[in-house]
Amino acid sequence: MSQHHRDWAHSEVLGVLARSAPDALKPFAEELVPQLGDLEVVNSRTGLVMLPMRDTAQGTAFHLGEVLVSEAHLRCGPHEGYGMRKGRDLEAAMAMALVDLALDVGIAVADCHAFLATQRTDHAEQDRATLCRIEATRVDMETF
Amino acid sequence: MAYVATRGGARAIEQAERLFRAEMGEIDPARVNEIRTAMPYLIDRVMGEASLYDEDIAALALAQTGGELYEAVLLLRAWRTTQPRLQVAQPVQQNALFTHRRISAAFKDIPGGQLLGPTLDYSHRILASDVLTGTPFVPVPVDAAAQPAPATQPSVAAWQAANDLVDLPEPDLTRPDDIPDITREPVLFPSKRAHTLQSLARADTGGTLALGYAAMRGYGKAHPTVNELRLAEAEVMVKHPKGTEFSAGRVKVSQAEVVSKSGEKLSLGFAATLGWNEVKCISAATLDLNSKGAAKGSATEEEFFLYHTEGVESSGFCIHFKLPHYVTFQSSLDAMRDANAKRQAQPQDQEPAE
Repeated sequence: MSQHHRDWAHSEVLGVLARSAPDALKPFAEELVPQLGDLEVVNSRTGLVMLPMRDTAQGTAFHLGEVLVSEAHLRCGPHEGYGMRKGRDLEAAMAMALVDLALDVGIAVADCHAFLATQRTDHAEQDRATLCRIEATRVDMETF
Repeated sequence: MAYVATRGGARAIEQAERLFRAEMGEIDPARVNEIRTAMPYLIDRVMGEASLYDEDIAALALAQTGGELYEAVLLLRAWRTTQPRLQVAQPVQQNALFTHRRISAAFKDIPGGQLLGPTLDYSHRILASDVLTGTPFVPVPVDAAAQPAPATQPSVAAWQAANDLVDLPEPDLTRPDDIPDITREPVLFPSKRAHTLQSLARADTGGTLALGYAAMRGYGKAHPTVNELRLAEAEVMVKHPKGTEFSAGRVKVSQAEVVSKSGEKLSLGFAATLGWNEVKCISAATLDLNSKGAAKGSATEEEFFLYHTEGVESSGFCIHFKLPHYVTFQSSLDAMRDANAKRQAQPQDQEPAE
């Protein structure tokens, strides 16, 4: 089991990377490239993800519509790196795949974790700020 | 019907397109960015009707068509076909939505409370005309609360079910890849519910409102009240090649449940769409609520409202009447002239014989 599986759930690593700001993610991932050696690019493309939803009246699953995403898939020997992010930024998806690959190989693990931790904190702060503004719109209803 | 090939319009067509585009001028990334950031609700409407979520692409379509919404939606639906479908995400669950707005008009004391979120519902509608004379409109910032709202909100219907007011549905265990999809198969009637809800999710907002409004005014069997209205963000849960599920990002979604009393229980209508579009969701949920047992050809009959709220098809059919129908119409004219000529050639009515 590689390092990141012990410290970070793989799903959380990928979720944080998918949300990371491109101007932070790309330069960080670029630093990993020389350490990874020869890479095979399996995919680097835009495409669609169909998004279903569950109806709350009758329980039926149905399709809301499609979301444009960017996808990158890398191989390095037996290791794989994968990125998929909302939007059409192929470089950001590739950067995500590079970090995922580095963690799978076991390269620069501490740096990757530090980057992920910073990003996760940023995301939590953004969400908190949003939710504090939403809370301000709560109705304190009085009836007479 | 006969078709006749004609030519001679190529130059006119080219110049007509240039004339259309000349009015918009140069389109650059700054313009696209300005449209995206300044008009989020328009972007949402276009993304929902196009059934394609990407703010930049939607803003580009609006820039390129000068805001002609049907053209923008058509452009996006056409562009969508150039992209491969990579995955079908896990279904969005209401109780997992990152909720910005959640209200109920039917019940005051819902679990989680009433969160107005971003809305003009209770505001005076006053045009900021000073902007035109040089005084910018600067929005007053929100006085944020010290503590955040919960990121997710419980379901109103689940609370009603706990109080024996509604029957909760059985969970639909259809695998995501097996959910019926109107972009891959025709809609047949009576429609599968998955087809109905997908059609409404991408329906034309104005058309949905017109038919939903007809039902609200009394041309339907049930009068709607909003049981729950949500504006939220949904995680797009996709799969890594190794099988790990993760969020590829959040997208804005809106959903409405409308409710009507039906015997001892409440009956619900439901609709949702990509982007934040309350009018469409409430109207579509009203049509859903009223569709069961609706009379053939009525505004709330499923076949009627699904066919007539499909914006690309209906606008396309409408504007096709601008295209040359010379042969059809010439044929009718010839028949009318022939009938007139024959009538005139007949002898005048003679006086009856003495």
